[in-house]
Amino acid sequence: MSAATHVLEIDGLTLRLPRTARPVLDGVDLTVGASEIVALVGESGSGKSMTLRTALGLLPRQAAVGGSVRVAGEDVLTMTPARLRDLRAGTASMIFQDPRAAINPLRRLGDFLTESARINGGAGGERAVVRARHLLAAVGLTDRVLSQYPHELSGGMLQRIMIASALMNDPGLLLCDEPTTALDVTTQAEIVALLADLRNTFGTGMLFVTHDLGLAAAISDRVFVMYAGRIVEHGPAGSLFGAPRHPYTAALLDSTPRLEAPSERLAAIPGQPPDLRAPLSGCPFAARCAYAIERCRAERPEPENGVACHRAGELVLATVREGDRPRA
Amino acid sequence: MHEMTGGADPVLRVSGLRKTYGVVRAVDDVSFTLDKGRSLGVVGESGSGKTTTARIIVGLEHADTGQVAVAGRDRTESRRHGRAERLRRAREVQMVFQDPFLSLDPRIPVGTALRETLRLHFPRRDGAARVAELLDQVGLGERAAAALPRELSGGQRQRVAIARALAVEPAVLVLDEAVAALDVSVQAQILNLLADIREQTGIGYLFITHDLGVVRCVTDDVVVMWRGAIVERGPTERVLAAPEHPYTRLLLDSVPRPGWDPGRVAADRRALASTAAPSPSSPDHRKS
Ligand SMILES: Nc1ncnc2c1ncn2[C@@H]1O[C@H](COP(=O)(O)OP(=O)(O)O)[C@@H](O)[C@H]1O
Ligand code: SF4
Ligand SMILES: [Mg+2]
Repeated sequence: MSAATHVLEIDGLTLRLPRTARPVLDGVDLTVGASEIVALVGESGSGKSMTLRTALGLLPRQAAVGGSVRVAGEDVLTMTPARLRDLRAGTASMIFQDPRAAINPLRRLGDFLTESARINGGAGGERAVVRARHLLAAVGLTDRVLSQYPHELSGGMLQRIMIASALMNDPGLLLCDEPTTALDVTTQAEIVALLADLRNTFGTGMLFVTHDLGLAAAISDRVFVMYAGRIVEHGPAGSLFGAPRHPYTAALLDSTPRLEAPSERLAAIPGQPPDLRAPLSGCPFAARCAYAIERCRAERPEPENGVACHRAGELVLATVREGDRPRA
Repeated sequence: MHEMTGGADPVLRVSGLRKTYGVVRAVDDVSFTLDKGRSLGVVGESGSGKTTTARIIVGLEHADTGQVAVAGRDRTESRRHGRAERLRRAREVQMVFQDPFLSLDPRIPVGTALRETLRLHFPRRDGAARVAELLDQVGLGERAAAALPRELSGGQRQRVAIARALAVEPAVLVLDEAVAALDVSVQAQILNLLADIREQTGIGYLFITHDLGVVRCVTDDVVVMWRGAIVERGPTERVLAAPEHPYTRLLLDSVPRPGWDPGRVAADRRALASTAAPSPSSPDHRKS
């Protein structure tokens, strides 16, 4: 894919924070194409949300950043504040885990929906209302909600409002940070069906952060697996979960309780992800990896053919539940 | 050996529990039994009544009607709240919550908190030895005793919460979404730990979760709650393999998997909501 068809292109992104011993993001490469759904998976603290936020230029204060983040071809990291505002108002928008926390409880939802469009000089007042009605229909809600308050709606309905609001200015890129984690599984299915529809209708590219591997496999075209601020493996959802090539991807799959699996002990990953306060050398997964060798602790594995592991070429990652992976 | 569910003297017997909040029937005629050493799953979406049921069992909430009996002894009848009675009840049933941070005092080191719990319940025993034993049982080193809750990871804090619950040697442990906030790798460690503890101690689990994969992994039997009532029950294997109630089927179909069709799940959900008898329950999608 050429750069022109990528709505998001992250290159060698490195981000350091004060009082930490290693970068929070460490050489992240990631792309999202138009109309593509890309999942970013990994445990909490691995850097998923941070990656997502850089695409909107939302950097923590005192962050030292390297590399580039291009949205629709333009580098976000070198944008002026005015240009950043335009970006957030038009080209890219974001939905979060908890819609209730993101919506002012004291204002009618109609105002919430149209105000960002007005403030940002996108659609003017009347056009904003027309757009809001159109999007409400697209997310399966009626105009009635325009005059309602947040507390009158369920979490699932509010997340639909968030999605409609995020689409007000027809963004090419939608950043989704665990948008269904706080919802019931049946509601999650509704929201996911909706996002897939919107991708088809509007051609929106989506970067979808989740810790749920089954969900990532079910909804995305491609998957990026993150560990300790690095992308350790990426590839098409089917092959990545059907035949993982990085020990961490395989271990994550094995530790997930599955419906279809025999109910026996889970293959837990020993230990915990590395702390930001401790320096890392070599492979970040080495301390927990069943396949680690001397070289892993000494030398950092660079990504090659979508996987960053010294032993990727030789390992056959036989796992406890072969053939039982999402899209195996 | 394990008795079958519904055996002669279950360790926990819940019968005809009802609880309404205004017009909302939060818990609507809920009955089940848990036999010694067994693990019973309770599944259903938020607002289905799982947490309210658990809170009634533990004694944090009073039922409008119905009984809760532990080892044949009624917990709901007597409203005597003497100290000895309170402690005795605490020793019957303990609860572990989703967020251990909220149930641990941030200023008190882990070991001290365990010592206090032990001194309260067993004033004549050797606390120090038992603290070490409990920490070991939940896979924490003795060094953890000196740590404050915030110095521990989420998984370690949940281990502390489990240790504190086990300290009073309860017959039943109620786990309300106890692994929901943990990452899968840590969640697997805790689930394996809970399996080991049940094997070693013969404690019974009431395992509340929205995650059917977890239910499959850690329960023998399961009840499915919908709008305050139990709509299906049976051995976990059977319920997950051959669900009978449309709501159970919807829950199963909602789990993302290969060939998953979220659009169809959404349509089924609307169909179920419209065909079902109107319920006074308000649509509530708060998570636990
Ligand atoms: N203190 C309360 N006051 C009013 N309604 C409540 C209260 N606690 C629970 N409910 C209602 O009772 C129903 C069941 O809630 P809950 O027991 O929390 O279910 P779950 O644990 O499955 O999420 C819901 O409709 C909820 O809104
Ligand atoms: S590089 Fe070594 S430690 Fe890292 S994942 Fe590969 S085998 Fe394991
Ligand atoms: Mg609950």
